[in-house]
Amino acid sequence: MSTITVLGLVLFALMTIIGGKTGATAFLSLIFNFGLLFLAVVLISWGFPAMGVSLVIGTIILAFTIFFGEDNELAAKTAYIAALIVMVALILVIFPVEHWIMAQGFSLEDSEDLEGMSLTIGVSFVGVAVTEAILSTLGAIAEASIAIAAGLSEIIEQHPHVTTARLYIDGISIGKQIIGTTFNTLFFGFFGGFLALFIWFSGLHYSFGSVINNKIFVAEVLMVLFSLIGVILTVPVTTWVMTLEHRHVAKQQD
Amino acid sequence: MKQQVKRHWGLWLTIIVVVLGLIGVGLTRWDAPLYQQTVAKVTQVQAINRNSSTDEFQNKDVTYQQNVTVRILNHRHQGQVYRLRNTYTKSGAMDQAYRVGDQVFVRVPAAKSSSVTIQGLKRDTALAFVAWLALALLLLIMRFSGLMALLSVTLNAVLFYGAIQLDLMTNGGHLYSLFGVLAVIFAVLTLWLVQGFSRQMLVTLGATIAGTGIAVVISLIVFAVTHERGVTYEAMQYVTQVPRPLFLVETVLGSLGAVMDESTDIVASLFQLKQERPDIAPNQVFKSGLQIGHSIMGPLINVLFLIFMADTFAMTLLYLRNGNNWGYTFSMNMSLGMVQSLISGIGIVLAIPVASWLASRLLPSQEAAA
Repeated sequence: MSTITVLGLVLFALMTIIGGKTGATAFLSLIFNFGLLFLAVVLISWGFPAMGVSLVIGTIILAFTIFFGEDNELAAKTAYIAALIVMVALILVIFPVEHWIMAQGFSLEDSEDLEGMSLTIGVSFVGVAVTEAILSTLGAIAEASIAIAAGLSEIIEQHPHVTTARLYIDGISIGKQIIGTTFNTLFFGFFGGFLALFIWFSGLHYSFGSVINNKIFVAEVLMVLFSLIGVILTVPVTTWVMTLEHRHVAKQQD
Repeated sequence: MKQQVKRHWGLWLTIIVVVLGLIGVGLTRWDAPLYQQTVAKVTQVQAINRNSSTDEFQNKDVTYQQNVTVRILNHRHQGQVYRLRNTYTKSGAMDQAYRVGDQVFVRVPAAKSSSVTIQGLKRDTALAFVAWLALALLLLIMRFSGLMALLSVTLNAVLFYGAIQLDLMTNGGHLYSLFGVLAVIFAVLTLWLVQGFSRQMLVTLGATIAGTGIAVVISLIVFAVTHERGVTYEAMQYVTQVPRPLFLVETVLGSLGAVMDESTDIVASLFQLKQERPDIAPNQVFKSGLQIGHSIMGPLINVLFLIFMADTFAMTLLYLRNGNNWGYTFSMNMSLGMVQSLISGIGIVLAIPVASWLASRLLPSQEAAA
């Protein structure tokens, strides 16, 4: 068996032992998400527009991640709506920025890997960069929206008559608690993976000026920043959606 | 009344910082003198030619040529105007069209006969703008509680830089020990900044280190048993040192933040639980910890998974369009990210029982609390 298969089996076993049914479904969502990511690349390689592919695949990835991970229906529904709103808002930022900054495709540092390849493949790499940026932010958005929606729905459960204003304050305060640790997840997640590149930059004595204008470095930092913007926006948006839901439910009960 | 004045102050200060930041972003349009490289501004472009092409894999693309007029902004040739030709493709994998107003790095050769070439776009203004947007949103929505997180990220970046310098000095000879120690320092520093020095912080730290450590041990066992079949180290990008240790270190560092994130959540909730119900039994605390962990782990593993995999998109696409089959494309581009995601996932899952167990045993006892 290959290493990936065995590691996958170990992870599945651990998730099932420790997480029970929730763990098993979470593992399932991971597999689905991998399938969706691969599907996204294949669709783009077949010539489908990158924007459309990221919107459709993004919507489905968010659904899998949120509904497979959270049992509380109100929390999951709220988190999903909020995550979709944030995704659309982020696309409105990512699309113009990627066309402005032009950090798409490959850089001179990639030359060795590109040997013998045809680069004129007729697919817009700016579009691919937009897709990469959107998909890489989805996990962080889903996680933050679930955390906030779950926290708020618990508050609503314990105090059914909590006011909208109070709920808003609670939402922001939950957000303040998670933002610090989420920063670290993103920082290490992105930069830990780029150790080799940073050793390259330092080893070849790139100046500070060439690093901050380097295509690969810029593309990577952009992804961190987009994820941060996504997480920050998720806090008020999820809270807002939850207050709407809460008001709606309260009205129905009257 | 006093409170209100204070709150207004906070708001005004935030707005002032945000506006100053935006001015700073604007100033990067005039920072050419700070660069060693020659910077120029595109003043005029003119499309001159387009050619359709088809490669050996039947990919259709268009190659364009444009005349670009640039004015040098700094150093010896400042103020001089050059005309040069830029060739770019519709797909733009390694090239791009230039637009009027773009600032670019150029090379002006000493010999008059050879021509001036553009070396790349100057991206600092756009990058600064996005950074400004993120920080402005952080300050406006989170006010100053976001600053602590920012501080810890900045300090970690400095440490990261220092460790890379040390690694280069030793030619990668002590990679494991160097970055192993660094990972511990990262964890201590980050948790200390977020939580302060307390019993809770120590429990979180213990869970983070133990969870990550056990995950690495399990992965190494799996590596040994399967002889690392299908782990394509040769496909690793930007490698200037021995790839295998680099890959393992990247994996540990990559998952460290997520494991800390999760341990913090679990331990904090359990300490709060203990405060609300001081008579709760350790076993009950352990069970509650697992319960909290259930709902966190799935989304968290997905965060890292999407981050690790999205990076491989452009190269995967190129492989597919260059007539490679799915299996080969996967193993050359996505398999390393997959292994990384799986090892991180194992760490994230293992941190749950470790954090819950440590918290349940090391919570301040009733006598101490009273």
